[in-house]
Amino acid sequence: MSQANPAPPPLIDTRTSGRALGSEVVTPLVLFGLTVLLVIASRWISPSLGGLHQVSAIIVLSAFLMVVAFGQQMVVLIGGLDLSIPSLVTLGGILTYAWTTQSGWSFIWILPAALVVTGCVGALSGAGVAWLRIPPFIMTLAMGIIVYSASLGITAGTPRGHASPALASLFTGRILDLPPIIYLMVIFVIFCTLLQSSTPFGRRLYALGTSPTAAHVAGLPVGRLTVATYAISAAAAGGAGFLLVGYAGGATLTMGQSYLLPSVAAVVVGGTSILGGRGNYVSAVAASLLLTTFSTIISSVQILEGWRTIIYGLVILVAIGALREDLPLWFSRLMQRPAPRQPAPLVASDSK
Amino acid sequence: MTGTRASVDGAAPYLRAEGLTKAYGATVALAHVTLDVAAGEVHALLGENGAGKSTLVKILSGIVTPDRGTLEVAGRPFTPGNLLGARAAGVSTAFQELSLLPNLSVATNLMLPHLLKGVGGIASARRNEQAASALLQEFGIDTVDPRSLIADLSLAEKQRVEIVRALGHRPKLLVLDEPTAALAEPGWLFEIVERLTAQGVGILYISHRLAEVRRLCRRGTVLRNGRSIATVDLTGTPDSEIFRMMVGTSQDEATHAVPKRRETTPRLSVRGLSGRGVHQVSFEVGEGEIVGVAALEGQGQRPLFRMLAGLEPISAGAVSIDGKTADLRSVATALKSGIGFLPEERKTEGIFLGLKTASNVSLPILERVRRGGLISRRMEAEAVAAVGLQVDLPKRYQGMRISALSGGNQQKALLARVLVSGARNLVLFDPTRGVDVGTKQVIYGAIRDFVARGGSALVYSTELAELVHLAHRCLVVYGGRIAGELAGPALTEDRLVSLATGHGDLAA
Repeated sequence: MSQANPAPPPLIDTRTSGRALGSEVVTPLVLFGLTVLLVIASRWISPSLGGLHQVSAIIVLSAFLMVVAFGQQMVVLIGGLDLSIPSLVTLGGILTYAWTTQSGWSFIWILPAALVVTGCVGALSGAGVAWLRIPPFIMTLAMGIIVYSASLGITAGTPRGHASPALASLFTGRILDLPPIIYLMVIFVIFCTLLQSSTPFGRRLYALGTSPTAAHVAGLPVGRLTVATYAISAAAAGGAGFLLVGYAGGATLTMGQSYLLPSVAAVVVGGTSILGGRGNYVSAVAASLLLTTFSTIISSVQILEGWRTIIYGLVILVAIGALREDLPLWFSRLMQRPAPRQPAPLVASDSK
Repeated sequence: MTGTRASVDGAAPYLRAEGLTKAYGATVALAHVTLDVAAGEVHALLGENGAGKSTLVKILSGIVTPDRGTLEVAGRPFTPGNLLGARAAGVSTAFQELSLLPNLSVATNLMLPHLLKGVGGIASARRNEQAASALLQEFGIDTVDPRSLIADLSLAEKQRVEIVRALGHRPKLLVLDEPTAALAEPGWLFEIVERLTAQGVGILYISHRLAEVRRLCRRGTVLRNGRSIATVDLTGTPDSEIFRMMVGTSQDEATHAVPKRRETTPRLSVRGLSGRGVHQVSFEVGEGEIVGVAALEGQGQRPLFRMLAGLEPISAGAVSIDGKTADLRSVATALKSGIGFLPEERKTEGIFLGLKTASNVSLPILERVRRGGLISRRMEAEAVAAVGLQVDLPKRYQGMRISALSGGNQQKALLARVLVSGARNLVLFDPTRGVDVGTKQVIYGAIRDFVARGGSALVYSTELAELVHLAHRCLVVYGGRIAGELAGPALTEDRLVSLATGHGDLAA
């Protein structure tokens, strides 16, 4: 009889969804799940894929994206966009390569030094955005061009320096059968998540991103927050450049170029609102893993490069389409009550 | 009284709603709401925040489709699929949360979605401006330039444009949702309402201001918890009875006696303050004192309050707190000097819609709820719960996004944020704007408790009755200057009005 009078489809009231399973839980779970599925499915494409070794390789490869995506996400959280990331990855790489001496452990001081230099460049971008009111993408685009041109001029096109074996061992060494960078990344992710969610600085960023006007009226240091955010993004890019030198054993002027769109994609696929104020780092990490897995698999398939990029673009579009605001709603609805069209098996067997 | 229904004799209702029901999941926003509005009638819709008024407005505007129930306009079923459908059927709405596009001109806002076209089918700015200008003139607001951007208008002007836009669609039924919330001089609207009703337009009038409702409406329907409690003849129903129907209990506190004036030591002292729109303003607010500010629209009260909050530059004069000069160059320094400011526009300047309620409230005290560098959720929740008690903000709202709360609860959270900051001098700009009777009482109570503990409060309100009821004394601002001060038995609405309109001699 219950089927004769179907209940209206359950609507989730936005007034109560604050208590339902939030997007901060659902989004990373879905993304991690998709990554695992993709890795398993990749065995079907090639037997050499899908093994534990490949999983570890993907995590290592995605580390660079995770680091730049953190910076990009911080900027997007306050409603901006950082287009200077490629140049700052390059700058971080060139500095690291140039400063490395053969003594081996010099990278202990090189890392903070590279972070400070790139961070200062980012602070300049932030100052332009905060006090000169230059639109973020113009400011960072200009800053990126300046930094790139300066790098080109100073290195005369060919960065010089030394590879650091100690730095390279982050990727080649093994602790419990895994490269040390993986452990470093775990620490990095925890640190960044706490910075966003559990420090006054992080909280104020979300507030600023939600409503710049209200932030101003509430007396938040809007200018300083903006400068600090762009500085962090630039320093993250510089840090990624530092790591890339360890991974590749050298620096080139184009080493940062392939990180601009993926950094935006990781942030947006990870559910961060491009308008600011919403998003969390764990989702961006999950999205970095998914995107890296996907590009690894697709590059092992024998198709034309053009098709690869087209498929990559389509995947990003589909992911963004699927991960909109309503996904957590849909998901928590699924968890709360069975879909109305599903017959209830228990009742059916009882009536017989 | 419950269940009784007064009706306009003989006349067939123009709008008839029967058994309207709308649920969002488990939350029932409207349950079996029944009401009717006759042609040429101004029908009041009364109820607390969260009673379902907004949902009813959305249904009438075609934004929301009811789950059950029937709607008839002029005897025909009314089932608009969207806003345009509702307009086409002759129902037009002036929204409380103004629906104007801030980055476009007044003219474009008034003419959209059908801009007048010129040569070659391109929208003609000149023709649209002329049409908009004619519309503005027709409804008596020729002070607004049709070319100016909405964003550059004052809140009151925006509200007028919003109303004129609804009128421009020549509705047969007009829905006015809190139309006077930002208007200090509602006379303009009252004239328009009279003109419209004379033409046979039916008006559904939603307002928290009972005096206003009484002046305009003969009948009103009371909503409570999504149900229509009764449709009453307003002339024969005392305020207390209406409050009882709205909140379910008797609310005699609403007519609280005027508190006694206290002799106090000055806490906030303003000397010769001048700036944009403010000239040589001097006054003092004492410890334990609530000082009201009354003014008509645009008399300089807004810049005055924003100067005290550190949001507007000060060109001359000084402000001192407890004898020390206050640094009002920025909001942060003003806060440090001890001034807690509650802004006018809750949604845009006040709360952070994307954040949880607890995060909204704890923003000024993040440093105080840290343990080992990280925010302790437990300490934060305790601090928010403690201040939540002062403003009657239930604990269960803490973890919800503030956008999920009703306007009244959002306002409580905003006041909680100001209180928790530790500021000893409150500067509150229209703290009860657009909130219901129950929330108003809570806010009054919180302000009284605050000053009883030694704080001071400066309160501007567009509702004179509220100032008479709340303040120990009241300053009247006119033309950027203090036009007078009323206290004790002299503090009455009549005298406030005569001072506020520049007739100081009549108030003496």
